[in-house]
Amino acid sequence: MIEDKLLIWRLKSGDSSALASVYEKYKNCLLKIAIGLLNQGSAAEDIVHDVFVSLAQSCDKLKLSGNLKGYLAVSVANHARNINKKIQIKQKARPEQSETGIRNQDKPEQWIVHNEQLNKLNNALAELPYSQREIILLHMHGGMKFAAIAKSQDISINTAQSRYRYGLDKLRSLLNGEVKK
Amino acid sequence: MRPTENIEKEIQNIPFNTNAQKDKEVLEDILNAMEETQNQQSAFTWSNIWRIIMKNNISKLAATFIIIAVVLSFLVTDKLNTPAWALSDTIEALKDLKAVYVVGAYPGGTAEIWMRSNDSGSYSTDSVVRGSQGAITWTKDGSTYHYEPSQNTVYFENAITIGLSQWFGPELLEMFSKADNTEIVHGKDPATGRERVMLICSMIDSNGPQSWIIEFDLVSKLPVAFKHWQNLDRSGQPAFEAFKITYYEKLPDSFFEVNIPGNPTYTEKPLTIPDENISALSNPRDGASIEGLSQQEAAEKTARIMYQAIIDQDLDQLKNIAPLCRNWNDEFLQDIVFKPDKDDRITEIVKIGKILKTGHSKLGLIAAVPTVLKLQNGKKVEEKMVIQFRRLGGKSTCVVHGPYGLPREID
Repeated sequence: MIEDKLLIWRLKSGDSSALASVYEKYKNCLLKIAIGLLNQGSAAEDIVHDVFVSLAQSCDKLKLSGNLKGYLAVSVANHARNINKKIQIKQKARPEQSETGIRNQDKPEQWIVHNEQLNKLNNALAELPYSQREIILLHMHGGMKFAAIAKSQDISINTAQSRYRYGLDKLRSLLNGEVKK
Repeated sequence: MRPTENIEKEIQNIPFNTNAQKDKEVLEDILNAMEETQNQQSAFTWSNIWRIIMKNNISKLAATFIIIAVVLSFLVTDKLNTPAWALSDTIEALKDLKAVYVVGAYPGGTAEIWMRSNDSGSYSTDSVVRGSQGAITWTKDGSTYHYEPSQNTVYFENAITIGLSQWFGPELLEMFSKADNTEIVHGKDPATGRERVMLICSMIDSNGPQSWIIEFDLVSKLPVAFKHWQNLDRSGQPAFEAFKITYYEKLPDSFFEVNIPGNPTYTEKPLTIPDENISALSNPRDGASIEGLSQQEAAEKTARIMYQAIIDQDLDQLKNIAPLCRNWNDEFLQDIVFKPDKDDRITEIVKIGKILKTGHSKLGLIAAVPTVLKLQNGKKVEEKMVIQFRRLGGKSTCVVHGPYGLPREID
């Protein structure tokens, strides 16, 4: 946390090496959140790219004293939620064109290197309601406490906790093969 | 069957890797975004500071005189040689008057201006503009200063950016008479009943759109009042209205000494160009290619092309490298810029100096570059030009925006 406070202070003063450090430190967990939320490699990568660019463009305005990781995780989640809404609208309009499932896996320029375990997890996450998926990923990869997640989503802590619990139970069942897709 | 805790661990431990090349590319994107934002903010901050200063109308008044400076460096015709009021009379009346005192009003206040010219009466050397609310703008040793009492700050720039590059005299009047929309109106001053002549004109120069009404007294033949607007149609309140102009043969140095109270902060004024001129500088077909050149090399190349076009009297090349010249008609450009029959026409580029300062416009980097030029009469002058760097249509090019301050004679 102290290290993050120092990074934020350096970022606010326009230190590019601080930005590079933030990027190295948090890019993987943000990519995990994005791919887990959308299960679409290219869209997830774009979101994380955009979140870092936004951070680069607004370092001096950063109103943040502490949890940088949580701030970035929520930014990714907000972007992903918007994308997800658009995907749902498209799916309703043209149901024959599924937007789920990992795409572009074989494209050489992909940022995320996919593996079987990752794909299996993301496919399982895609089976959860979006709200549960979001809380699981923010808590597990974003390192956020339920109170912070609840505040960011304008829900009660109990709701956040129960969504996490239900989501994790279902995820466990999916990964154990107990639930048929 | 996995217990919940195991699922959490398992999820967190799933191998996750990224493409190293892509990592590098994204990081470069991010760092570039940061750098660009910082550059823009730097320009934005400076522009804002200057905009705040310019909200003080005394600063606008100073800008009024910059305008005259820019336009007046170029002018000539016999439009004013009417039987009732001959230009030659005015020339005679003005020739020994090397100093002037102007009293006038700007929106929100009044101001008095003291100004004197060089010995040959070609341009102003010293100016002091004192506003009714304590702000002062003055020139000293080749620099211009603006004291803002509310901020206890003196803004300065290393160029003479207020004054007249063509002193009150025939060339000034001829310049106005050459403008496209010049009208001469005769009438009586309703207050005094004296006969007067009014010259009405408008033009766009490097300070944006301008229009003037200059009033001449028919008896003394001297300009006795003027109004200036920063638009072409003279709409709204004038940016400055000079209601009294008094001429002197000379004024002592003490009139131009300025003592600022207290201990103000000195801050360099940013290099800017008016937003209104950006569109004229945005044609990708204009300008000189600067691919592979350093900033200094690019600025030198651009300035050299412009001055060579003036020496060669090449109108097309001049308009291409300095697109704002398209705002003036060919006759105006010939007479005011090329000056083929005048002994102060440019005949040689002696030296192009190092970039003095840089700033940012909406198009990108701008830089002020000085050039020493030799005139037909053997004299040397230094002029500073603002160069606009552009990246348009995938190509890097430069154009000349216009003069940065007044030229000055050098040994």
